[in-house]
Amino acid sequence: MAPPRCLCRPLLPVLALALLGLAAAAGPRQTPALELAQELAEELWSAGLPGDLPELEPECRSLLDAFAEGSAALTGCLGRRARPVRLCQGCHGQYRRLLAQYGSIARAVGNSSESHNCAKSILTSDRLQIVVTLSEFFNETWEAANCANCLKNNSEGLSNSTEEFLDLFNKSLTCFEHNLQGQGVDLSPNNYTEVCKNCNETYTKLNDLYNHLQRLNRQGGESAHSAHLCIDVEDAMNITRKLWSRTFNCSLPCSDTVPVIAVSSFILFLPIVFYLSSFLHSKQKKRILILPKRIQSNANLVNIQEKYS
Amino acid sequence: MANVAKKVSWSGRDRDDDEDGRAGETTPLLNGSGPGAAGSGRQETEVPRQRPNEIPHNEKLLSLKYESLDYDNSENQLFLEEERRINHAAFRTVEIKRWVICAMIGILTGLVACFIDIVVENLAGLKYRVVKDNIDKFTTKGGLSFSLLLWATLNASVVMVGSLIVAFIEPVAAGSGIPQIKCYLNGVKIPHVVRLKTLVIKVCGVILSVVGGLAVGKEGPMIHSGSVIAAGISQGRSTSLKRDFKVGVELPGVQVPLCAVPTGDLASSLSSPGSCLSSSLCPTLKVPSLLFQIFEYFRRDTEKRDFVSAGAAAGVSAAFGAPVGGVLFSLEEGASFWNQFLTWRIFFASMISTFTLNSVLSVYHGNAWDLSSPGLINFGRFDNEKMGYTIQEIPIFIFMGVVGGILGALFNALNYWLTMFRIRYIHRPCLQVVEAMLVAAVTATVGFVMIYCSRDCQPIQGSSVAYPLQLFCADGEYNSMATAFFNTPEKSVVNLFHDPPGSYNPMTLGMFTLMYFFLACWTYGLTVSAGVFIPSLLIGAAWGRLFGISLSYLTKGSIWADPGKYALMGAAAQLGGIVRMTLSLTVIMMEATGNVTYGFPIMLVLMTAKIVGDYFVEGLYDMHIQLQSVPFLHWEAPVTSHSLTAREVMSTPVTCLRRIERVGTVVDILSDTSSNHNGFPVVESNPDTTQVAGLRGLILRSQLIVLLKHKVFVERANLSLVQRRLKLKDFRDAYPRFPPIQSIHVSQDERECMIDLSEFMNPSPYTVPQEASLPRVFKLFRALGLRHLVVVDNRNEVVGMVTRKDLARYRLGKEGLEELSLAQT
Repeated sequence: MAPPRCLCRPLLPVLALALLGLAAAAGPRQTPALELAQELAEELWSAGLPGDLPELEPECRSLLDAFAEGSAALTGCLGRRARPVRLCQGCHGQYRRLLAQYGSIARAVGNSSESHNCAKSILTSDRLQIVVTLSEFFNETWEAANCANCLKNNSEGLSNSTEEFLDLFNKSLTCFEHNLQGQGVDLSPNNYTEVCKNCNETYTKLNDLYNHLQRLNRQGGESAHSAHLCIDVEDAMNITRKLWSRTFNCSLPCSDTVPVIAVSSFILFLPIVFYLSSFLHSKQKKRILILPKRIQSNANLVNIQEKYS
Repeated sequence: MANVAKKVSWSGRDRDDDEDGRAGETTPLLNGSGPGAAGSGRQETEVPRQRPNEIPHNEKLLSLKYESLDYDNSENQLFLEEERRINHAAFRTVEIKRWVICAMIGILTGLVACFIDIVVENLAGLKYRVVKDNIDKFTTKGGLSFSLLLWATLNASVVMVGSLIVAFIEPVAAGSGIPQIKCYLNGVKIPHVVRLKTLVIKVCGVILSVVGGLAVGKEGPMIHSGSVIAAGISQGRSTSLKRDFKVGVELPGVQVPLCAVPTGDLASSLSSPGSCLSSSLCPTLKVPSLLFQIFEYFRRDTEKRDFVSAGAAAGVSAAFGAPVGGVLFSLEEGASFWNQFLTWRIFFASMISTFTLNSVLSVYHGNAWDLSSPGLINFGRFDNEKMGYTIQEIPIFIFMGVVGGILGALFNALNYWLTMFRIRYIHRPCLQVVEAMLVAAVTATVGFVMIYCSRDCQPIQGSSVAYPLQLFCADGEYNSMATAFFNTPEKSVVNLFHDPPGSYNPMTLGMFTLMYFFLACWTYGLTVSAGVFIPSLLIGAAWGRLFGISLSYLTKGSIWADPGKYALMGAAAQLGGIVRMTLSLTVIMMEATGNVTYGFPIMLVLMTAKIVGDYFVEGLYDMHIQLQSVPFLHWEAPVTSHSLTAREVMSTPVTCLRRIERVGTVVDILSDTSSNHNGFPVVESNPDTTQVAGLRGLILRSQLIVLLKHKVFVERANLSLVQRRLKLKDFRDAYPRFPPIQSIHVSQDERECMIDLSEFMNPSPYTVPQEASLPRVFKLFRALGLRHLVVVDNRNEVVGMVTRKDLARYRLGKEGLEELSLAQT
């Protein structure tokens, strides 16, 4: 699509000069490419070049407007649904629309000469390339959120498993609320036994479903990205788990410390027995010394400890 | 000759760890020294056995089990004739073959590494999944002690298999194999060290011990595996498989697929004593008239050693993805025999090896052209800005080197006592297996208890943790102690290098370092095949990371104190403190991190660790070589040994043969078990026996045996029978396992025949006068890779013989020069 931005940087003066040249050649005809290069060009403007700033062709202008509105809508949606995370559920429509708008810009060919089509003038004419940047930002966010994972393949709406999960999630939230209301408001943090008992089933189901989805996902793709579920599901699960095990303190694992200590000290005791018994009972390995056949010499071996008796 | 039936195997297995009863017949060779006149020697040598001087094993012994390798070519007439026949083009063919062999060494080593990696990954994955599921199940229901039992039992049973095959089938495959290869390159023949059977046991043993959850790595054994592969391919045959690969000269292209099957060069269980096959082994010499054995030219110790060094380099390169490090490893360990062409060839083998591993593994991982896994362990990329270092940090790194040196010395000292205890008391194979199982069970238990007690919970982030154990953490979190213990050591090392700051809390790291230090120290030296590289790296990475965390705590979270960087330096320091390798280790670490700028701090760290560590005890490998009583020759003679002369060093009197000797005498000398000499000076056949005649040459035991087998007697030649002349080929066919003398039948009549040695002996052996100083003798010996050095007086009469053990027994100890004793082990 767009050329990498870093490439443009060293080309900047060249680009500016080239654009100026174009403008000069085009004369009163408005060259759209120059609009965003205005700031850059202003210094050179002092050279006294003619003409007002060129304007975009109307078709391109409308495409750009549509894109601007679309991105505003998407940004608004993302911002509003940041907490609790509902990005994928709420914004997939906007995202899809924005993608389409970007696509139509990229494909659009203006009706003027071939060298000045909309794609070129909007996307690649300047250093900043704000449209490309915006679209890249949305794509990256979407990918980081891994939304594709909980949407249908054509990304029109949530996939069945996600619907099922959210359903269950809502159910457990309702269950939590319901049971909490039944009890007083000022509960001591340890006194959530009611919740734990009544909602255990839903919670376990939810947890199992989540683990199942995760396993499916892991089998599906190898790369690091697809190891995540989509952010909505992950966040929902996180909230529930935190409520469950932190706030309600429901997941109290059975800590059977005594048998663990017994078994481990038994195992740790074994080597001691082993080494002691092999020290006491095993015959120590003896080496048979061989007397070397040498001239038993005398004077020179002063500093050698005599090993032979 | 009573033991002929029992001892006909070629291999001459010296399993004398537990067979005291057979000591008589398995008496190893005592090179060249011993009682004088043949025949009369028997009564004399009984004397030390009647009152055996028994002492407990200690480090100041030299074992008789080890012999030298014959690096010096025997330049006899046959050899000279053959060399003269080979023309220039043939020499070029030989050179090309060397390159082909090196390529094959690289490819096969890479493939073996792939095999190990893939099998370990799958088996360990299976084990951890089973245990994890079990723990998850019992966390909610109660009964975690069953999970503990399951884990411990799984570990112990896997390790039991691994230890059984090592202890009962091939004990030399135990440990990392680096000390053994070091000895081999030094010129010591360690029995069985480069056999196919050893390779098989080594590979299986490594897989089993890593899967068994021991604190070990699979990198060190790769070096041994590479060496075995090299030795096997270069010989082009395996007597384990009873196979000799012969290929028509005109079809050199066929050899590659053929040689993919056999590696290693000799003798597996098939040829063990007592096996029914062994009686048929009394070898009938095949004379391939048209066929020409592909790599027959390389069937001698000199050539084999060169290929073994290439194999060791290929092994290092496959283990760490460090081809240059591999070459330097071979250089560091075997450098006295070196030239530039050999270096280039070895480098070629290394490169091929890492490339093979890389391409096969990337195909296996599904991204075929990615080439992202050059070694068995990848340290990962260290190239973001946080990983850079500044000049101010260098003193900190040096301090870490000091810590690494001290901890390494402590590790070695503890392991020294443990190894000594093991040699003295735990020498029966079944005890060794039990010990290995206990260690495995305890390792699992310690891991479990640590995980159980840890309250360090971290939120799960994607799939960064392979087997997240929740245990008592809140839902959606995992136990961070489990990332260190509940994982293969390689993965733990990489996690410690690369997990973002804050993934471990200091308490976890501290406990982990402490526990793993003792576990690794306890594990090294067990009868399982496993390396010490990864455990050292892991210990170092753990305390290095701890160091980094505390540093950033002290400096209030400065940006440069990234714990991953300190984990790397800690790993280098710990490894350097334990193994004390310098040049090669620096390059290996540098290549494994893929960051050349780390070369300088790593070098400083390793240097400091070595200096500090050497102040206390020597390196782990040297220590184990010493404990095995191997006659290892260091670079230089001990510094204070100038006062000693060859006269004091040599063994005397020497068993000499005359140039034309009676067959009976030769047979008697060779079958004298108490003085199992290997080289015999040949003197002028002077009928006047009262006078010692001048030295004419040197002949080896192996040559004499081949001569006896072919009955090359003077009388038979005189019978004017059309007898085929013995060629050098006949000697090579028997290499490297010459039949024992007992398997050669010499009739009573034949004993009276005469044998003419002048054609077969080496007419120009190296000699020194009696007055030569020990350092001079040592230099000659070490630089030329000699096996026998004859000491003569000024009338060229033989007065003594210097062999490896005569030189290796002088060592610089704490109180000056020490002398080691010879002992039967």
